[in-house]
Amino acid sequence: MITNYLAAHHLRLADLAGIAAVRFVIFSTVWFLLTGSEMKSWLVGIPAVFFAVGLSLYLSPPGCGKLSFVGGCFFIPFFLRQSFLSGIDVMRRTLSPQRLINPGLVSYTTTLPPGAPLIFFVNTISLLPGTLSADLQGNTVTIHTIDQDLPIWTNIQNLEGRIAVLFNQHEPKENNL
Amino acid sequence: MRILNDIGLLFIGIGMLFFISGTIGLLRFPDIYTRLHAMTKADNVGLGLLVLGLSCQADSWQTVARLIFIWILVLIASSASCHLVARSALQKNIQPWSRP
Repeated sequence: MITNYLAAHHLRLADLAGIAAVRFVIFSTVWFLLTGSEMKSWLVGIPAVFFAVGLSLYLSPPGCGKLSFVGGCFFIPFFLRQSFLSGIDVMRRTLSPQRLINPGLVSYTTTLPPGAPLIFFVNTISLLPGTLSADLQGNTVTIHTIDQDLPIWTNIQNLEGRIAVLFNQHEPKENNL
Repeated sequence: MRILNDIGLLFIGIGMLFFISGTIGLLRFPDIYTRLHAMTKADNVGLGLLVLGLSCQADSWQTVARLIFIWILVLIASSASCHLVARSALQKNIQPWSRP
């Protein structure tokens, strides 16, 4: 079973062990955060962590997007700032006496590879000011915007570039107009 | 830590304003898509500020980490469910409201 898995994902046993160990540490941390320092909780925790590692290797095999640490350091402040701005933006539109909305649908074709980067992209769009991802067909995202006068195109391209850096995708970006 | 407590209270208060504005958007906006905008965005910021405020008042780093973890989980859940609701609306051919 393991040999098949290694062959299917072009991995060596040592690589798989390393990846599984990293995930083991991550899930153990999550369990520790959830349950606190109660030792007895690990009676359930250790099997749960093993199960989670196995399930994650099955659902999200290694190789579909490796996060870059530096990219993350740049991405988190950007993300926090943008989501705060998007909250302010919505607040302004809901509370203004006039109807400050001019919604519409836009299609965007991304060069991000399928898998984690693409899913991450689609989900982040919904948290940026004025945009909401409404559909995904192949690599074309249908975006609903609350105001067509916003610079949607620039924002989305900016986000796409940042996600490419976050996932170590270094190929030069083409303008896919 | 009296000051930290008060700062926390301030963040929680501002967070509540975001929740209220999200709810007003839900009532005022004309169609499902624009309502989704209001709900996801305002609530995420509201919850973020709530977590920030509660973190100021927390008594251990573990509580803070747990709060941030909750916020991240809610972010993932709300952006994914927002996408799913919008997609199913599009598939049902519900036309987005547009300016007349």
